[in-house]
Amino acid sequence: MVSRAKRGALILTVMLLAGACDAKAGDTAGVTIACGGQEQWCSVMTSHFTKATGIPADFVRLSSGEALARIKAGRNKPEFDVWHGGPADAYVAAAAQKLLAPYRSPNAAEIKPEWKDPAGAWTGVYVGVLAFCNNTEVLAGKRMTPIRSWRELTDPRLRSNVAIAHPTTSGTGYTALWSHVELNGGAKDAALGYMRRLHPNVLQYNKTGSSAAQQAATGEVAVGIVFAHDCVAVHEEGYTNLHVSYPEEGTGYEVGGVAVVAGARNSTGARKYVDWALTAEAQELGPTARVYSLPTNPRARIGNKLRDMSKVKRVDYDIAEAGAEKIALSRRFDIEIARAPKQ
Amino acid sequence: MTAPPRRRGDLGVRAALLAVVALVAVGCVYPLINVLAEALSPSALPRYAEFVTSPVDLAILRNTIVLGLLVGTCGTAIGLLFAFVQTRLAVPGKRVLHLIALLPMISPPFAVATATVALYGRRGLVTYGIFGTEYDIYGLDGLVMVLSLSFFPVSYLGLLGMMRALDPAMEEAAMNLGAGRRRIFRTLILPLLAPGVVAPFLLLFIEAIADLANPLVVGGDYTVLASRAYLAVTGEYDTTSAAIYSLILLIPSIGLYLVQRRWLARKTRITITGKPSGSVHLIRGWGRWPVFTLAVLIALVIVSLYGTVLAGAFIRAFNVDFSLTLNHMRVALLGAEGREAVADTTLLAAIATPIAGLAGLTVAWLVVRHLGRAAGWLDFAATLGVAVPGTVLGIGYVLAYRDDIEVAGVTVLPGLVGGGALAGGSLAIILAYVVRSLPAGLRTATGALAQIHPHVEEASTDLGARPLQTFRRVTLPLIRPALLTGLSYSFARCMTSVSTIVFLVTPDTKIITSQILSAAGQGHYGVAFAYCTLLSLVVLLSLGLIRLVVGGSILTRQEGRL
Amino acid sequence: MNLIGLDREPRSGALRLDGLTKRFAARGESVVAVDGVSLDIAPGEFITLLGPSGCGKTTTLRIVAGFERATAGGVYLDGVRIDAVPPQQRSMAMVFQSYALFPHMTVYENIAYGLRLRDHTKAEIAEAVKIALTSMNLVGKEHRHPHELAGGEQQRVALARAMVVQPKVLLFDEPLSNLDAKLRGAMRAEIRRAQHMLGITGLYVTHDQEEAMSMSDRIVVMHRGRIAQIGTPAEIYLRPASVFVADFIGRANFLEVPAEPDRGHAIVTAFGKKMAVPSHPDVTAHDTALLMIRPEVLSVAHASREGEGVILNRTFHGASVDYEIETAGGTVTAAVPAPHPAVLLTEGTPVTVTFAPDRAYVLPRR
Repeated sequence: MVSRAKRGALILTVMLLAGACDAKAGDTAGVTIACGGQEQWCSVMTSHFTKATGIPADFVRLSSGEALARIKAGRNKPEFDVWHGGPADAYVAAAAQKLLAPYRSPNAAEIKPEWKDPAGAWTGVYVGVLAFCNNTEVLAGKRMTPIRSWRELTDPRLRSNVAIAHPTTSGTGYTALWSHVELNGGAKDAALGYMRRLHPNVLQYNKTGSSAAQQAATGEVAVGIVFAHDCVAVHEEGYTNLHVSYPEEGTGYEVGGVAVVAGARNSTGARKYVDWALTAEAQELGPTARVYSLPTNPRARIGNKLRDMSKVKRVDYDIAEAGAEKIALSRRFDIEIARAPKQ
Repeated sequence: MTAPPRRRGDLGVRAALLAVVALVAVGCVYPLINVLAEALSPSALPRYAEFVTSPVDLAILRNTIVLGLLVGTCGTAIGLLFAFVQTRLAVPGKRVLHLIALLPMISPPFAVATATVALYGRRGLVTYGIFGTEYDIYGLDGLVMVLSLSFFPVSYLGLLGMMRALDPAMEEAAMNLGAGRRRIFRTLILPLLAPGVVAPFLLLFIEAIADLANPLVVGGDYTVLASRAYLAVTGEYDTTSAAIYSLILLIPSIGLYLVQRRWLARKTRITITGKPSGSVHLIRGWGRWPVFTLAVLIALVIVSLYGTVLAGAFIRAFNVDFSLTLNHMRVALLGAEGREAVADTTLLAAIATPIAGLAGLTVAWLVVRHLGRAAGWLDFAATLGVAVPGTVLGIGYVLAYRDDIEVAGVTVLPGLVGGGALAGGSLAIILAYVVRSLPAGLRTATGALAQIHPHVEEASTDLGARPLQTFRRVTLPLIRPALLTGLSYSFARCMTSVSTIVFLVTPDTKIITSQILSAAGQGHYGVAFAYCTLLSLVVLLSLGLIRLVVGGSILTRQEGRL
Repeated sequence: MNLIGLDREPRSGALRLDGLTKRFAARGESVVAVDGVSLDIAPGEFITLLGPSGCGKTTTLRIVAGFERATAGGVYLDGVRIDAVPPQQRSMAMVFQSYALFPHMTVYENIAYGLRLRDHTKAEIAEAVKIALTSMNLVGKEHRHPHELAGGEQQRVALARAMVVQPKVLLFDEPLSNLDAKLRGAMRAEIRRAQHMLGITGLYVTHDQEEAMSMSDRIVVMHRGRIAQIGTPAEIYLRPASVFVADFIGRANFLEVPAEPDRGHAIVTAFGKKMAVPSHPDVTAHDTALLMIRPEVLSVAHASREGEGVILNRTFHGASVDYEIETAGGTVTAAVPAPHPAVLLTEGTPVTVTFAPDRAYVLPRR
């Protein structure tokens, strides 16, 4: 299917590129990571891993869905050894498709059972808490202070001033929706009922989770419902008008995972990476890369900036059940809530 | 136009045909088949029934078509406005206006949309800061604005060329039969441009409905198929749905494409022979000012958006903390990833651009001059590169080229995609660049070729030149300006394409746009803007370089002669 | 007689050009394209601007049409100065070299275009277009598009389109230069006939002297932006105002001779004979002048012994024969009606050359 001329052209191109790229020809001894975190976080993680173990490591930054799609499409010849960062539901989906190699790291023993896969397909490395990202200036204009509860969020003064992601397309959006299921003792109708009350206040259902933080930062909305670390990251960018607050009723959270990719070229190195990623010292690295999520390792020290977060009241978030109900519940949300006109 | 004689039998033509067919097959068709196989697998079939019965999905389809039509119309109208001002109005600053109209050729993903929100959103610097309104830009209106402004240069350049090629004597004839300016525009210029308007309209339509970055930023609740397909992958981990959405997305594209071909085939126009005479009469009456003002307003919006990108690269936090900082630039330029990304992207785009430009030209040449019935298929296959969402193409690449391709146990083609692949996976990136940027070159070249009378080439053939020699010695020099535009466009597109590329980046090859995507995705807008600024700078420098190498000038009147 | 029956008033305009001058700035230099052209054209007259390319004729026409503004001077139509009137209000119609037909309109729509801009009813327009189609021999082609027509037909459509609006002045910018020789001849007659019938004033630009000769009431020969001569075709041909005109219009032999003016004539000696030849008033006494003899004026006969010249070369044209003859005064060309082949003179033949003095003309040297 490739003509001779074309192949000639390809070979020529390869030769052209060889000069540019030979210095970085693929190494097999190292570990290649599909990294779902922030660029800087990924960079810090890989370099510290190499420093700690002497194993060279390299990463490609990918959002969870992209990582999953790429791991799946290349399953016959995996290019990644480890997948690190990004919400656990993506890992659950990957495990269901047998894309992950189960590995029970000795370091996983200390981690809470609800924060890891019972079969060892993935293990939690951080916890991100759902929070309110308040724009204090906009709120002050409405004579309001940072929002403290889900109830307060439905205040009519906040009409068209809340940003939240659509649960179909965003893990953040779905976490928010499922939090209300948990808050209502598993009653989905009640959860949707809350969303219906919130609906008039929602400017739009964003496609991606973190954009709500950006909208809050620029004052497009007064409050964004995002993971705390997303809001903090934008705050760190210079948007000092932002203030993170947590709902007093309790809030949902995501668990970030790490896993060995099935058929990894360097599975020994991959396991070493997972071992390392679960250590307290690895999990304490987050804040140095301005990532403020909670560690899963109970022995990891929690810095000042994370103290509030660690005290937040969290709902009992059942990752497995949430994942199982996702398609049906998101579809209900789409039809019953998102498409309803805003009175 | 009488059908040019076919010379399919010629060796050179056959080789050229083989080369481009192979390129299109390898770069586009085969990967797509891999994805679509999934979309057409038995397990996926019930989803179509679901699609046509689901009000949500049908609304998405309707949204997509409405968006495409609106962007096609607005983008073409803006292009027409700028071309009209450029060729028919006696106003100052036309050169500057021309440059501004070309600016959106360089549109890094997210940059324009993000800047639009920053300036014209609810708390926008302009809408809220100056006019005090909380304009809700999210949704169809914002999307149409951003997409029209991003994509209109292609229609501008096409129409500019056509308006310059119109025989001014025709307008003079109408004028001395008593027709006023407005009437001439309505009864002469518009109908004569109509066939020329169709091609850019189609391209705008296809690009608009396949675009995904902008709907993510300013789409609001307005959901379209392309971003839906992207989110099916990224949000729901469901590539099958993505493939289904993409397949459905292809329907309006293909439909419109076929309609256009039929319509154009029936409306072929030949400029009457005879030496064009007369000279262009620039409009000097007061009537030029409202038109000019409109163009200037649009130009100001464009400048404001790009200005925001530039400023955003040096401002700590746009709209909140306007203090200057070099931090973003430092991350983008001095960080290991950033430096590598700038170098890799430029190198790969530089390799891909001439291939794409030449391939586009060759396809155009084959389609216009040498192929009969098959022309439509080749033309369409080559256009597929923009007609499908990049996400889908990206997945197709991984499916198709991650593994070694073996025939009878012998490796014919080693894996191209991903880490450990040939040349660090950069071959696949080059291929994707070529395929994604080929259609733009194809369109400009087709337009240029259609304006060269076959007699010119026949004269060369008559003197004993083989088709390939004719192409190289006669055709190529004649359409050099179009080639220049095609190359510039290709380069700009390569440098700014993102959705396919995220599936192809490897630890060894970092690409600026994927850095932008992750920076923007995590709220580091300053860094994203810094990358965009760097990217635009590289593109601008390279356009200058292309101009030096190919000759002629992208910035002068020449490229209008398409 | 009225071609279109819309307007019973005969319409033709008196056109006056008064000192028209047009300067262009080209590469920083000022180029004078038209230099003080003054001209009076009577209603219904057909005038040709004739000259080599670059002589300013087209620019003059475009100034009249209103497509260019004169740097100095004025254009008057029926005594009214129209310099500031935009082209669309000038009551003139132009036939273009490229025809400038509207390719997206049918023949009918092309012809009707100008009428639709005026307040005519549909029926009136249909009637007028029908008459125009008939008179231009285009019946049956009204629903074709221009590219489906032959060159001559396109030209007739262009003509019909211009005439149907009954302009006061018809302007022609080398309209026949894209046609083959035969069609051109037919179209000349066609244009002349239509223009006569309507009595419209015509201003016609061409570089083809034969065209100018056969069509015009008067010819304006232009040279380097100025008028070299205005006159009827016969005047221009027989009594050219300058060597340039004599040379540009038709063929001419020039013999350098001493001349003595004598009441409108000049006494010159040519081919060994002394004679009185009509003379240009500028020819002065004791002057060396140029004796202009058109080739067809010369008679050639076989000389039994020594003649005035020897045949150098012979070119057979069918109806006539050109002999190139070497004489004492220089080489001259004679065009004589073709005789029986047996009597054709061969090269090297000694000949006598004679001519009727009143058919020649004496011009000053400069």
